[in-house]
Amino acid sequence: MGGQSSQLGPMLFFALNEYNLPYPPPLSGPIHPIVVHFVIATVVFSVLCDSIAYFTRQRSLANVAWWNLLVASVAIIIAIFFGQVEAGLANPTAAGGEQVLGQHMTLGWILPVLLLGLALWRALLRNKLGNVSTDFPRQVSMPYLGAGFALVGLVFYQTFLGTMLVWSYGVHIRPVVEATRTGDVTTGSQP
Amino acid sequence: MNSVIDNLGLDLYLNGLPYLVPIHPTLVHFTIGLFLLAFLFDVIGALYVFAKPLMGKLAPGRAVFFDLGWWNLVGSATFTFATVAFGFFEMFLAQPPAAEVSAWGLSASRTMLIHGVGGTIILFLLVLLAVWRGCQRYQWRVNQPRQVQIPYLFAAAVTAGMIVVQGEMGAHLSTDFGIHNTTVNGLRLQKERGEAVSIDQLPDPFNPPRQSNPTGAEP
Repeated sequence: MGGQSSQLGPMLFFALNEYNLPYPPPLSGPIHPIVVHFVIATVVFSVLCDSIAYFTRQRSLANVAWWNLLVASVAIIIAIFFGQVEAGLANPTAAGGEQVLGQHMTLGWILPVLLLGLALWRALLRNKLGNVSTDFPRQVSMPYLGAGFALVGLVFYQTFLGTMLVWSYGVHIRPVVEATRTGDVTTGSQP
Repeated sequence: MNSVIDNLGLDLYLNGLPYLVPIHPTLVHFTIGLFLLAFLFDVIGALYVFAKPLMGKLAPGRAVFFDLGWWNLVGSATFTFATVAFGFFEMFLAQPPAAEVSAWGLSASRTMLIHGVGGTIILFLLVLLAVWRGCQRYQWRVNQPRQVQIPYLFAAAVTAGMIVVQGEMGAHLSTDFGIHNTTVNGLRLQKERGEAVSIDQLPDPFNPPRQSNPTGAEP
């Protein structure tokens, strides 16, 4: 799979580096795993903050939930862009790697729809419930929190799949890319 | 080597861990994501006079940015206790390759040592920043339009820089050295056993052979 990559040399701008990625220096390794920090952390923390705000009725926590959800909605678009680039150049190896990559990419296209839907729902609730009284009311409903936790579950499953691609199947890992290119292994303590 | 870990009698997968994939890299999302956003929002809040016109009609009140700065910092610091704990557990079980160097010219062991010490320092700094930030929010600057002191922002910027360096070293451990990587360990195992090295013959990580000595070195 990665065997052909070294023959792509003449394409100067997209020459593949030792991680089988087209990024020029000083960039090197995968970018998608960095961008997803800002999706995973914000979605989970948003739902967490909304849950606490539901019971404590703290306005500041509801603000945090809403704006973090917006950050997630923007970051997920960037995550998909780099995810697509890096998935297209992935070198899943052992049996099952292709299936995990397929699942990760499918869920990766479903999640933005669900996330933007949740953000829209949150915006409507915020408009309806959030500004009616000086005595701070709840900004979200129980069904919203239920949907939020379901999305958090999916995000964690997606994170697990992505973690498997890196740590089980060695996608874009230097020693593995090396091995797929040369057919020889240079990893480990040399004898 | 690793006699302390051997004495624990853990049943290890081919990745050298008692579970399928490392947990530290997942927890890291919260440490990095929440802290960098906390810092960003505090900066926007501090520079609100400049930021407000850029956002037009959608601009939220200034206090909103300080809410985000404070609570995201609290979240980051809280998660980081778990990040560091799992980081150390998984570091004790790591088998760093001896002969390779990272993009920064450091060996795997040296990278891991700096990453471990750095992680501990960052946890300490995050807790310190959270206490400092809390004092400003709830005591010292309750009635000030700008909730954060300038020295605080500088301290947070330094911490953010350290976290970026720390993250890059973590990426070296993962992508350059393949620490706790099932495929990398599988290739290494084939090589050490003198078998034909074949990337297609690696074990399926869903159903890995459990063994207490994953590299196959003689006991």
